[in-house]
Amino acid sequence: MAIDIPTRTDQLPTSATRFIGKAVNRIEDPALVSGTVEFIDNLSLPGMLHCAILRSPHPHARITAIDASAALELPGVEAVLTGEDVERWCDPCFTAPEGWGNYCLAVGKVRFVGEPVVAVAASSRYIAEDALELIQVEYEVLDPVANPDEAMASGAPLVFENRGTNVIQSRTYTWGEVDRVFAEADRVVSRQFRWNRVGANPTETFGCICQWDLADNSLTCRGAYQTPRFMAIGRAASLRLPANKVKIISHAQGGGFGGKGGPRGTDIAALLSRKCDGRPVKYIEDRMEYLLAGGGQSWDRYYDAAIALKADGTVTGFKVRLVDDQGAGAEGYGTISAAKPLAAFTGNYRIEAAFYDLTLVATNRAPTYPYRGYGPPPHNLVLESLMDVAARELALDPAELRRRNYIGPEQFPYTVPSGNEYDSGNYAAVLDRVLELSDYKALRESQAKARAEGRLVGIAVVSTVEPGVFDWNAYATVGVPGVGVPEGVKVAVDVFGNITVAIGFNLQGQGQFTVAAQVVADYLGVEMNAVKVTTASTDVALPHFGQGGSRLGVAVTGAILGACDKLRQTFCRVVAHVMQTEPDQVELMNGRLQLKAAPAHGMTIAEVAGLMLSRSDLLPPGVEPCPEATFVWVSPNRNLPDDQGRCRSYLTAAAATHVVQVEIDRDTGQVKILGYYIVDDCGTRLNPANVEGQLQGGVAQGVGAALYEEYVYDPQCQPLVSTFVDYLMPTIHEVPMTVKDHIVTPSPIAPLGAKGCGEGAIHTTPAALLCAINDALAPLGLECRETPASPRRLWNLLHGQHGH
Amino acid sequence: MSTRKTIRLTVNGKPYEREVEARLTLADFIRHELHLGGTHVGCEHGICGACTILIDGSSARACLTLAVQADGASITTIEGLRNRETGQLHPIQQAFVDAHGLQCGFCTPGFIMTTLELLGENPDPTDEEIKEALGGNLCRCTGYQSILDSVRLAASRINTATAA
Repeated sequence: MAIDIPTRTDQLPTSATRFIGKAVNRIEDPALVSGTVEFIDNLSLPGMLHCAILRSPHPHARITAIDASAALELPGVEAVLTGEDVERWCDPCFTAPEGWGNYCLAVGKVRFVGEPVVAVAASSRYIAEDALELIQVEYEVLDPVANPDEAMASGAPLVFENRGTNVIQSRTYTWGEVDRVFAEADRVVSRQFRWNRVGANPTETFGCICQWDLADNSLTCRGAYQTPRFMAIGRAASLRLPANKVKIISHAQGGGFGGKGGPRGTDIAALLSRKCDGRPVKYIEDRMEYLLAGGGQSWDRYYDAAIALKADGTVTGFKVRLVDDQGAGAEGYGTISAAKPLAAFTGNYRIEAAFYDLTLVATNRAPTYPYRGYGPPPHNLVLESLMDVAARELALDPAELRRRNYIGPEQFPYTVPSGNEYDSGNYAAVLDRVLELSDYKALRESQAKARAEGRLVGIAVVSTVEPGVFDWNAYATVGVPGVGVPEGVKVAVDVFGNITVAIGFNLQGQGQFTVAAQVVADYLGVEMNAVKVTTASTDVALPHFGQGGSRLGVAVTGAILGACDKLRQTFCRVVAHVMQTEPDQVELMNGRLQLKAAPAHGMTIAEVAGLMLSRSDLLPPGVEPCPEATFVWVSPNRNLPDDQGRCRSYLTAAAATHVVQVEIDRDTGQVKILGYYIVDDCGTRLNPANVEGQLQGGVAQGVGAALYEEYVYDPQCQPLVSTFVDYLMPTIHEVPMTVKDHIVTPSPIAPLGAKGCGEGAIHTTPAALLCAINDALAPLGLECRETPASPRRLWNLLHGQHGH
Repeated sequence: MSTRKTIRLTVNGKPYEREVEARLTLADFIRHELHLGGTHVGCEHGICGACTILIDGSSARACLTLAVQADGASITTIEGLRNRETGQLHPIQQAFVDAHGLQCGFCTPGFIMTTLELLGENPDPTDEEIKEALGGNLCRCTGYQSILDSVRLAASRINTATAA
């Protein structure tokens, strides 16, 4: 049957939506505020053992001997796992590109501080940690590869000897006549930038309980898993199991932001269970383990970039050379993060030609993983900073320079040089609204007054496009082939008319369970509390991906609409049969299946479901007694990329402009945010409170990345950050309470016109803050081109000190 | 290492007597011995505040406290807030729901316990006083704005109820 996915809310079978578009309370929340949600560490299984992991103190060293005999003699210790076991039972993890993966425990040598070396299973975590102290590991220390310069130097030590090089990937992309536009430019603005490594740091670290069934040779993993099926496939590969013998049960997660999933921890706990005759083994990563080696360090980048301009301020070209320190291999798909900017390489602007030179390098830092935004936050910081430098050189207001270069509302759908097609937008309207909201003129006046007093006050107006609803095709050129990311649901109506939505992912914070209930309730005309949303484990779930790529709110909406449409069609057939008419004479409206010609005659959803489940004699031929439907949604109309990576990748293009005013304290280098204003356009807002929460949360993480957070390594590649005393997470004091408004340009192609909106703020805030800082510094002739613009870094800049 | 000690304490109004290892943290005791899983552990070094509980009415980090230190104490955890009979949420919990003061909810019990202490001492706090009180709790999802709104809403509802 043809399935109809509405792209507008007025196409829903309801006379007025009651839930979609409203800031309804989240169905997730009563349990969360009560402390009764089953995060993985709240679960214990009978006979469960606890895992602790001994980790490498060296960035690069050969393991010459391991003696765990004393640990094995400690009462309560059941098993010790070493690289010998792992080499016998496992393969290194998948990577993109292939061949840059590690084993879950070090085999032969260690490649970063914090790499697992030995693991213990014991009757308690306390005893397991006691046992670690009894293990002797001898190392032959090797020269570390501390940074990309060292990695690419001739004769450099190799992180992966079998590769023969430390360069994971090096390639260029050329889109349009780059050489010509730069040759014909009236002005070229170029700068170098350094974005230091930051990371996700959800408040809950990774955890899992793994159980190996020795009779069936199968594995069950319960845990804080972000992308369950992806995780199941990865574990099957690394643990040499058939994929249908790996069952992932995803628990609610205390935040994700990218790297939630713990493939190493899972494999280690699974192998310990195998060694312990199939007893379940729990591994809970602690914060120090997370900070040293967890999944979430991201974006360790060196940029050299330029834009070409005409005298009137028209930007014609954009060139970026990026060297990205991936750390010890590509296990965390950090490579993908460098390719993501292709989806919106030239931002909001009509830039006709662009060039990207990408070099991904392995070093002895911890491997990089996804983090919210997945690449554009640093990329946008580069582009927007260059726009500001150009505005300063041209003596144009930065808002005006941006306005002159915006893609016009009449130009959509608009194909950017790097290939993606933006679905819709109205960037000038967003700008107008935020300038009004912030009273931009008054901000500039207050800045002039402050400057006259010798104060360092700066303002930024920064615009970005958020590619929403990711697709694999965006990443084909870094080794991830495929088109279409599935998200499957089952919608089932029971005999009383209650509805269960089964999905393939679990809670992580974004509110998708609530969105699912809103969509079902409005489509089928029931109350939201009649809808139960539940997570299916991977052995029975439909194809799915889960959270990631600013897509799940849109994707799960599409999946539910598809399933509901299938249900509607089945219900129409049943009711038509009972009422002795044709299915096309029956319609669903406000929860009733009714005759189009005589709407008073009809049946409720509950009545139809009850009939289907209890009166098979009344069913038309070919209709099963099953008031349930499944649907697996993928983005429509995606295609394979060409050799320059060009394709329709991300489905939606949300947009935002942030206006921020900051003041730098000359004596301390501290940045104070005086005002922060946001106008965004993410199309239809399915739940406005969810959208605002995503925006504000992204601002907070952007503040951290721009001003405070940094994984600091010393010149010998030793991490200097291992606690929240060193890794500076923004508190309520550092995060501005923002003033927000929005405009709505619905997507013409996405379900209900909604656009991905989970990443836009972290795409924008770091650029906005750095641009405002540089606006403040401009009268002094100084520029900060390194993040985080920490007090120390700015103080050094203000006081003529170089280096960190 | 395995010195054991008997402790007696009250948790959410219920008395307990247990023999514990001297090194057992109060967070582990509450979570894994008493099976009250709402006190979450985010950093185990006293910075994130997810494990905040009230010991004799004052907020404390359960991760930095040993169970033996709580001998004789009266402890309140997040599980002690909801009405046991009706299941009705405490006004602070309800305010967090209504003002969307949480996303993943992992840090939320800590924020709510800190708020419980704040509003007990200062029923009508200013924004600056709220920020001062919540400055020791980390949230990675919300950006704090809706948390500030939640605390304001809770305070105004509790004050209205008290006045009536």
